[in-house]
Amino acid sequence: MSHTRTLVEALRKRLGGAAPLPPPAPTPRIPEPPVRVFPRRNEKTAYAKEAATHTTALLGIGHVGTRYATDVVLQFQAELAVAHGAVAHELAPDFAARNALLPLESRVADHRQFLLRPDLGRRLSDESVHRLRAGATKSPDVQPILADGLSAVACEGSGMALLHAFTRACERRGLTVGTPVCARYARVWLEDEIGEIVGAKVAAILLGERPGLGTGDGLSAYLVYEPKLGKTDGDRNMMSNIHARGTPPEVAGDRLAVLAKAMVDQRTSGVSLDLSGLVAELGEAASRAPRAPQERVRLVEVDR
Amino acid sequence: MRLRATIRNVGYEFGSLREVFAKANPPKSGDQLAGIAARDPVERVAARAVLANVTLEQIRNNPVIPYEVDELTRLFEHSLDEAAYSAVKHLTVGQFREWLLDSKTDGHRIRSVSPGLTPEMAAAVCKLMTNLDLMTAGAKCLVVVRANNTLGLPGRLSSRVQPNHPTDDVAGILLSTREGLSYGCGDAVIGVNPATDTAESTAEILTAIDAVLKKNGCPTQHCVLSHVTVQMRALSELRCPMDLMFQSLSGSEAGNKAFGISVGLIDEAADMMKRLGSTRGPNRMYFETGQGSALSSAAHHGADQVTLEARCYGFARRYDPFLVNTVVGFIGPEYLEDGPQITRAGLEDHFMGKLLGIPMGCDACFTYHARMSQDELEGLKVLLGAAGCTYLMSLPVGDDLMLNYPSTSFHDIPSVRRLLGKRPAPEFDAWLNELGILDGDQPGERFGDPRVIRP
Repeated sequence: MSHTRTLVEALRKRLGGAAPLPPPAPTPRIPEPPVRVFPRRNEKTAYAKEAATHTTALLGIGHVGTRYATDVVLQFQAELAVAHGAVAHELAPDFAARNALLPLESRVADHRQFLLRPDLGRRLSDESVHRLRAGATKSPDVQPILADGLSAVACEGSGMALLHAFTRACERRGLTVGTPVCARYARVWLEDEIGEIVGAKVAAILLGERPGLGTGDGLSAYLVYEPKLGKTDGDRNMMSNIHARGTPPEVAGDRLAVLAKAMVDQRTSGVSLDLSGLVAELGEAASRAPRAPQERVRLVEVDR
Repeated sequence: MRLRATIRNVGYEFGSLREVFAKANPPKSGDQLAGIAARDPVERVAARAVLANVTLEQIRNNPVIPYEVDELTRLFEHSLDEAAYSAVKHLTVGQFREWLLDSKTDGHRIRSVSPGLTPEMAAAVCKLMTNLDLMTAGAKCLVVVRANNTLGLPGRLSSRVQPNHPTDDVAGILLSTREGLSYGCGDAVIGVNPATDTAESTAEILTAIDAVLKKNGCPTQHCVLSHVTVQMRALSELRCPMDLMFQSLSGSEAGNKAFGISVGLIDEAADMMKRLGSTRGPNRMYFETGQGSALSSAAHHGADQVTLEARCYGFARRYDPFLVNTVVGFIGPEYLEDGPQITRAGLEDHFMGKLLGIPMGCDACFTYHARMSQDELEGLKVLLGAAGCTYLMSLPVGDDLMLNYPSTSFHDIPSVRRLLGKRPAPEFDAWLNELGILDGDQPGERFGDPRVIRP
């Protein structure tokens, strides 16, 4: 035998021959691990109580080895699924017609392009330009625009409620409101072109916001004075987190109307709009301060 | 310089080195958005073939943004180490790739060449590498830095605890911090992105974290990631403790202008940290970057996002930073569309940063409108760990409550460490063992128990 062959044979023998592993030892009945559920059910320790008071971060969830307990994994996956589902959902093509809104589309051709080309989502298609010119009232004080944005789920969910609340609140303040339109594959800046075409004093786009973990149903609103192509983010005022667990649509509609009225009165918007006298009426919308944490709700329950 | 290649009798001619750089990139939605990507896979390979035959000297002489219009280009040109440069300038990009991958080329040799490389050279060789090439060469690089502890030693994987809170509730921030430490995370930094960008809030958060770290004798660093001018005010006027000073960087002068910074301003910030910062150093700065940031402010000058990212690292290395990381998937699908693009970018950024001599970490993450799954993200963390990435992030289940995106979790760090046989920074490792959080390379008795850290 060659030297190498001898070496390999010796190694094989040393590593157990035909059975490189010892036979498995018999296993006694594996005890059930302790119950680890999320969110925390038993707020007994001082640490858990403090955590419940100060943060919605998933603290105190424990660990199995270095990984998560099964219940935590499921909860987390459910939250992720809600967010991804909201992004993937597309606005129903007949949504505008069913709600008696003038249907508009951006220059985006499909949902993938919508995510990849923000520039196309900021401009109207040629056909929509004609439809808007032919079908919308000219020179209103406020031009409301309902849109899908990054969550059509939110738009279909509480979009109409917000639009109605906002319209009524504007009219109560003596503002004329333009023909309500609904834009598909829309980004925030699309309000500039729509507002410019109808000659509105203020354009207000109400659209689905980028989903977070477990929250896919939030709407945001962006208002701009003298809308026209070329306006920037500094020219706008915005309000986010509009949904049942944040600012409900009824309340949000009222606050947005206060903003619109202030824009018409002061003939400006964005950083130069003075909201100091309106703090009581505006609530959170008066400041650019961070929003309060949302309550984390348990998403997965299994019926037994 | 003729920039031409032929594939199956079809000739491909390129107008400039900048065009070759852009077309040699693997597919990136950001390069497509900028209208500079290769039109098909064959043209991409032709661009790479051309690039493989360009010398490093030619690259130095043709920066992607002209010397006259950009202060970063001027900075790179003036600060280049001529001796190190002469050792490699004659090599083509293809030959340079082979030198990096050669078994005889170790971290010490790469380290001696590094100051002679412009960011464009690092970007060029990156474009000729596959993902496993990027990991192989990246893992060789040796970048070790020191503040209150030592990062980047072989066999180590560190992490930032990122205890962000949507309203900057200090008690909430401290709870997340303590929990993170109890999982063995936080040796890179306890770094908070504040919701409110004021000096007062920055000082309040830093003071609170400082007290907890001191009380527990924890050998790490703290940082609040407000705008650099806000931190400078907190440090010079409010005199708060500050171990690391932070700023986001871009790869062009115009991009940095959109961030409200310049070379002069960061020079001033670094100088202030030398005088007033609370660590012994010598490394005291923390920078974040990410492919696509220049394009998002229309400051890309027709250059591709990989090369612009390398230029961020060229800017960062002027300050011998303690931490630099790319926030790789945060910018959104219009720049990095999906899992494969985000994974590739994470490995590219780590390699280019290390090659240029900075202690590169990565925030492995995505946004909920990008097409990446949790499983793909977990894969990226392991790839980065295997590539020798200096540090990753860590948050409760990886969920950032303030910025609304998924990243690495408190549980992921010990998992990746154990899989790859990595340990935390040595000083921090000793501290974890003393508290019983770790028992050697195993989780200890107090692992995951935040009460072990005194409030």
